[in-house]
Amino acid sequence: MSAFSDFALASRIAARSVADYVTGRGLRLGVTGLSRAGKTVFITALIHHLTRAGALAVRAEKNRLPVFRVHAEGRLAKARLEPQPDDAVPRFAYEDHLAALTGGGDAEARHWPESTRRISELRLTLEFERKSGWNPGASELTLDIVDYPGEWLLDLPLLQKSFAQWSRETLEASSAAARAGLAADWRGFNATLDPAGPASEDNARKAAELFTAYLKASKAERYALSTLPPGRFLMPGDLEGSPALTFAPLALQSDEIAPDTLAAMMERRYEAYKRHVVKPFFRDHFARLDRQIVLVDALGALNSGAGAVRDLETAMTGVLGAFRTGRSSFLSTLFRPKIDKILFAATKADHLHHTSHDRLEAILRHLTARAIARAETVGASVDVIAMAAVRATREARVAAGGKDLEAIVGVPLAGETLDGQGFDGRQEAAIFPGELPADPRAVFRGEGLGVAEHEADYRFLRFRPPLARMAEDGQPYPLPHIRLDRALEFLLGDRLS
Amino acid sequence: MNAERPRPRAFRLDDSGKVVLDEATPARAAPVVEEAPDPYEREAELALTAGDQSEQAVEVAQKQGVAARALFSWGGLFWSATGALVSIGLTLWLTQFIEGLFARNPALGTIGLILLGLALLALLAMAGRELFAVSRQRAIAELHMNLAKAREADDRDAARRLVIELTGLYDKRPDMARARGHLNDLTREIVDGRDLVDIAERALMTPLDEAARREIANASKRVSVVTAISPRALLDVLFVIAQAVRLMRRIAEIYGGRPGLFGLIKLIRSVGAHIAITGGMAVGDSLLQQVLGHGIAAKLSARLGEGVLNGLLTARVGLSAMAVCRPMPFAATPAPGVKDVAPFLFGEKSKD
Repeated sequence: MSAFSDFALASRIAARSVADYVTGRGLRLGVTGLSRAGKTVFITALIHHLTRAGALAVRAEKNRLPVFRVHAEGRLAKARLEPQPDDAVPRFAYEDHLAALTGGGDAEARHWPESTRRISELRLTLEFERKSGWNPGASELTLDIVDYPGEWLLDLPLLQKSFAQWSRETLEASSAAARAGLAADWRGFNATLDPAGPASEDNARKAAELFTAYLKASKAERYALSTLPPGRFLMPGDLEGSPALTFAPLALQSDEIAPDTLAAMMERRYEAYKRHVVKPFFRDHFARLDRQIVLVDALGALNSGAGAVRDLETAMTGVLGAFRTGRSSFLSTLFRPKIDKILFAATKADHLHHTSHDRLEAILRHLTARAIARAETVGASVDVIAMAAVRATREARVAAGGKDLEAIVGVPLAGETLDGQGFDGRQEAAIFPGELPADPRAVFRGEGLGVAEHEADYRFLRFRPPLARMAEDGQPYPLPHIRLDRALEFLLGDRLS
Repeated sequence: MNAERPRPRAFRLDDSGKVVLDEATPARAAPVVEEAPDPYEREAELALTAGDQSEQAVEVAQKQGVAARALFSWGGLFWSATGALVSIGLTLWLTQFIEGLFARNPALGTIGLILLGLALLALLAMAGRELFAVSRQRAIAELHMNLAKAREADDRDAARRLVIELTGLYDKRPDMARARGHLNDLTREIVDGRDLVDIAERALMTPLDEAARREIANASKRVSVVTAISPRALLDVLFVIAQAVRLMRRIAEIYGGRPGLFGLIKLIRSVGAHIAITGGMAVGDSLLQQVLGHGIAAKLSARLGEGVLNGLLTARVGLSAMAVCRPMPFAATPAPGVKDVAPFLFGEKSKD
């Protein structure tokens, strides 16, 4: 990236944040997470809890967000959805996602929302009573939330990398023991290509196809690998088939690339991808965040093995390096917005017993240690929690074979298997998922990838969403959760005091 | 892998929550599933009680009195303006008086001038002491709030800084030298913020709490006895007030404050606010018993009943003063109740 385009990007970010400041008192909440981390469910649950908080039928219930002070103190009057500021971005389909989670009248039809295929946005306005500050009394806070396919997030580290560097790293990663098997086809074809040879559209397309197949295979649930840029290869959106998506890394001999070669064509397309895909995405949605919650699905990687966990660590470190963090001052809010609070949340905490949460948090802390250290040195405040935006299980103790097991009870998804038993998605089961190691470093050791169930020390099943209770007004009550209120208090509490 | 770690298990449940058995398992070895109480509600409760009611009451009370920092109030304006007027009048009168002295005899005038200078000097010194006392009192109250915050947030850096500040408060007390040294060492070691605050509370506050409780016990004893035997109602009202004021001042001194006149006024305001806020809370526990207990005593003798009631009120004033003057919240050690400081009023044997 040239210095000039850097400068142009920076000034456009600044211009947008000034516009934000002038148009209203807002807060941009970044919901960051790789695919399957639970971004959509988190956003849906957050909106559902807040918008229903003021409803009469819910008010009679016991408080479901006790730690969220503004709500617990009765100062949250109401939250309403509003038209979002960006006209070109689709609206977050909150109603559809909620209907999916609750079954929309038919409880048997409840399911987790489909994985996100495109970007969407929503604005939520909170009406509350300000308690302190120079202007106590009724006040408002607008909250802008963006949902996007988690795959795209993997592109952010590319902004800092040249084609040659990216090629080298991708090839190295694909030769590691954990991935070599998955990448065999593509690597075989790649070996026949001559980067210094003439540019050929056929070869480029074939390489891109095989490369994409390799990425898709690695992402499959069995392996649960995370570091798989470029993200649009996995979730192309409306760019499918365009030249910007028809490239692949090459085994380059040197960083010098001669013109009119295959390598030159690939490099041009790589740069085009960065310019037309990654930069606008970064500029419009990530460069202006005030608060950030980073959702990490550590359980999927833990299921797969140490290789996947280390891969997740690499991916998170790369992604979080792209964000601006630091204590914000008045001027910096205007011209160079920075993230001053980051919450790392290990999602799907309902898949294991609460006594294991400390260990899960320790693993997450270890996983994001570099990002945490960097954020703390520049003055941002950081917290790590185990959370479940929607809690699908309850807890129980099972006495079996003379031992007490701390188990969870829920309806496993159809097709899940454990302990030699298959589940049909209807019947409840008490699951003892195994114990996480006390030393978080233990899960990073080894080469395991796609470890079979009978070899693993732990196995986290996926559960169906819980049955929603209906309020008198025919709308569902907010679904149960784990520590969603703590997350909200950390992210928004100080702006609502 | 590791053989000792329990393997993941799954138990299918039927509609009634019983485990579905396959044929191989004999019925008596059937696993039993027992629903556990929801742990997250408890967690949420714990998070909420971190800033619990009694602590909030203390902070509100402190803000209204000892830690008040109002820049402007109509009452303040009134007293300042009136004070300025009176002092202008006084200055005029003094000038005339000194001039008169000089007119009568230069030597007499000189003596008058010297005396005036001495009086002014003493006034300045007193004002300085007063200012110092008020600011110290405010510092203690702020220390209290900050320690409560640091403890709640488990903030190690803040806890270290504040504990050093706390030990500095008592560096003139020889009997606490050991606890001080111990704590100052601890601030350089790896101790969690919350633990450090708790250790400081146990080490530093316990002897002071003990002394404060003794003061309260003595005062409430004196008040109840004097009320019971005093011949006139007016006398015992005056006595109760004097004892209450003396008690508050003593407790402030025990915890490191040195209230002068203004400091005492602020302290009384804080104690009053604290009693007003916690009065409602106390109805649940001891005050109700107190009034009931008073009923029995009153049946024996009206004067005796009044004595008991006045003693109880004095004890409550003392407890409120204790909560407000203490440089740290009651956390590791429980806050004493009326029953703890004045057990003799309840017909129990004193623990002291």
